[in-house]
Amino acid sequence: MSGYAGRILMVDLTNGQLKTIPTHDYSEQFLGGRGIAVKLLFDLQPPKRSDATSPENPLIFMTGPLTGTLAPSSGRIDVVTKSPETGLLGGANAGGFFGPELKYAGYDGLVVTGRAPQMAYIEIYNDEVEIKDAREVSGKGVQETVKTLRGADERTQVACIGPAGERLVNLSGIAFGTRNYAARCGVGAVMGSKNLKAICVRGTKGVPITNPDQLQALADQMRERIKTMPSYRDYPEWHHKLFRILESDGKTFFGNYEDTAWKDRFEAYDEAERFIKTAEFRSQTCFGCPLRCWAYINVKGVGGGSIAACQGTLTSLANFPKIKDFNKIWKAYLLMQDFGMDTSGTAAVVAFAMDLYSKGILKDADVDGIDLSYGNGNALISMVEMIGRREGLGDVLADGVKAASEKIGRGAESLAVYGKGGLGLWLMEVRPFKGVALSCAVTDSGSQNRATYGLCEFYYLSMKKSAEKAAQSITGTQDAAIPTKYDHKPALVAGYEDLHILADSLGVCAIPFMPVGLELWGKAFVACTGKDTEPSRLKMTAKRIRTLERLYNIQQGMSRKEDALSNRLFDEQLKDGPWAGEKLDHEKFEQMVAAYYALQGWDDEGRPTPETLKRLGLT
Amino acid sequence: MVENMKKIIVKDFEKCIGCRTCETICSLSHEERVNPVEARIAVAKYEESGWNIPTLCQKCEDPVCVAVCPTKSIKIDPALGPEIDYSRCIGCRLCIMACPIGGVGLNPISRKTVMCDLCGGDPKCVKVCTTQALEYQEDENLSIEKRGENVGRLMKFLQGVNQ
Repeated sequence: MSGYAGRILMVDLTNGQLKTIPTHDYSEQFLGGRGIAVKLLFDLQPPKRSDATSPENPLIFMTGPLTGTLAPSSGRIDVVTKSPETGLLGGANAGGFFGPELKYAGYDGLVVTGRAPQMAYIEIYNDEVEIKDAREVSGKGVQETVKTLRGADERTQVACIGPAGERLVNLSGIAFGTRNYAARCGVGAVMGSKNLKAICVRGTKGVPITNPDQLQALADQMRERIKTMPSYRDYPEWHHKLFRILESDGKTFFGNYEDTAWKDRFEAYDEAERFIKTAEFRSQTCFGCPLRCWAYINVKGVGGGSIAACQGTLTSLANFPKIKDFNKIWKAYLLMQDFGMDTSGTAAVVAFAMDLYSKGILKDADVDGIDLSYGNGNALISMVEMIGRREGLGDVLADGVKAASEKIGRGAESLAVYGKGGLGLWLMEVRPFKGVALSCAVTDSGSQNRATYGLCEFYYLSMKKSAEKAAQSITGTQDAAIPTKYDHKPALVAGYEDLHILADSLGVCAIPFMPVGLELWGKAFVACTGKDTEPSRLKMTAKRIRTLERLYNIQQGMSRKEDALSNRLFDEQLKDGPWAGEKLDHEKFEQMVAAYYALQGWDDEGRPTPETLKRLGLT
Repeated sequence: MVENMKKIIVKDFEKCIGCRTCETICSLSHEERVNPVEARIAVAKYEESGWNIPTLCQKCEDPVCVAVCPTKSIKIDPALGPEIDYSRCIGCRLCIMACPIGGVGLNPISRKTVMCDLCGGDPKCVKVCTTQALEYQEDENLSIEKRGENVGRLMKFLQGVNQ
């Protein structure tokens, strides 16, 4: 079975049972990665609905047929489980080097069920799989855990949780190495609930490729396309340029979604640039990727670590809590990474608390003596530690923005901003971007990072022509790119979702997925696996996966009313910035949802129709 | 061309971003599967300090591997330097132990040494390297300055490691 490793490893931590199942049983219908993971989650779900942190909830790690091959940007691994934050499907995806190594060891994926009697880790070396005592690293940060378990062998890849995951913090993720995270939806808390501290993998089997020469020629072409992306040259500078890019695209906001024109923002942008330019800085990348999203940054007196140029990192840590002291931001970032936390979700929930504090909803007595004023870098650092350890106010915030708002009460509920199932949104103003709004409501997990990464609405203001071109190719009309229009958004969102699902299922990164184009990814799949396919068939597979995700959520009790965003995005208009006056309109929003359902072949309640199930082979 | 002019793969670890595509293409083109442990080139990755250091056979003029090989299975090709004759190699690993620069490694599948063969004079790793951290250059073009520069960087790195 070329391209694939051929087997999926199943580990039951309750009784220590290990077995493998053939990937082939799933790959024809569900391709790999996210697709197979969703199928396994659906098949393995407990007969009675249970808590995400119960032993029965499967935690699934799955690579795709392109993961670890010569196809560029192929370091991805998808993590799927029931989310403790939303009670619905939870998904997160990570790059780095773990996915490829898992395949070289002979496994396309790993399914973990049960709960170990005490903190344990799984060690995989080819066919040798062992569940070991993790006492040595229990309670330790990600840095020390990875270092200890890796020992002298840099090639051993480690996935682990930090103290936040061990304490079942909903804002905790799973670290792959010391930098890449499957961060969202509380997947770290699920791993913690299984008493699983880490997974170490080393493989020497490799992955067979059906047509090496063809793959080499295709990979050259694909890398060339990535290198000719207009933004390619600038990637290493995005760590500070992103602040201004977000501003020029009109996506930025500050605090708890109340301010798009923070008066100190330009000073903060300048500080970001100074911070990056004066730090020890080395560009890094993920497996097989020319992009260099990552950098190792070291600041004397603060510390060193790797960071991605991404909306979820420096920009989130500065803009949400309105902090401009980058040494403080860097310290908070390193702490979040070591605690194993979702940097964007944590920054958002701290900003939420700061907003409540500024309005007197949280009083001094509620905040453990911390001055929770906007801009206070020390407060961010303290809150990271308290959330990571579930102490004081941190224990309340650790459940995520929606649950925290309900627990705090006193009007906090109406200030919370979230998407489907209560999942916090990332750093992106939603109100003017109707497609983004739709996506945050209807997507599998509420995590827009899994649906519409690179949506053309994002760059409409700064690169109108390219945005229109992308919209044209997906929906047949360039007007679909106009952020504030509701028309054509269902088709636009569904189109991007399909591509995103295919990237996550083939095991490659969503960022270069569109610039390279589906046709070449499809050809690379053929060269790797020897199977036949074409873009239309791949899109059909994406639809199948999308509908199965829906079925899972329905089985978890979801109905149309969960495909929603918090009321504030409908009630409160933007005060300033390029989109002043924008908010969401309930009626038009519901029309988009209905049209989206219709496109997917689901009924008015969002239930896949019998014909759709039959057409997709899901009956 | 001067008769004894040789081309070698020149590495610049300050340019290496650690994507490991060189390992991938090397194993794929030699073994028809992607398996970095079988690659003739290896990127040593130091995640905690952000360094990525490609290592491979430097095609020494006075190769230690040739001297220690008990079966004389490492021959010196006039253009490409040392190369292994696998019909003679017994897998004793002496060359791996003796190589002072970590240029050769053990292929865990064949249980024998893997050594860069420069793809017969057209190295593929160099072609796929997107940051030109690997370049195929005539050795005489490596000026004294270039060597000084590299040694300086290495010193800086080693100081960092020892800190």
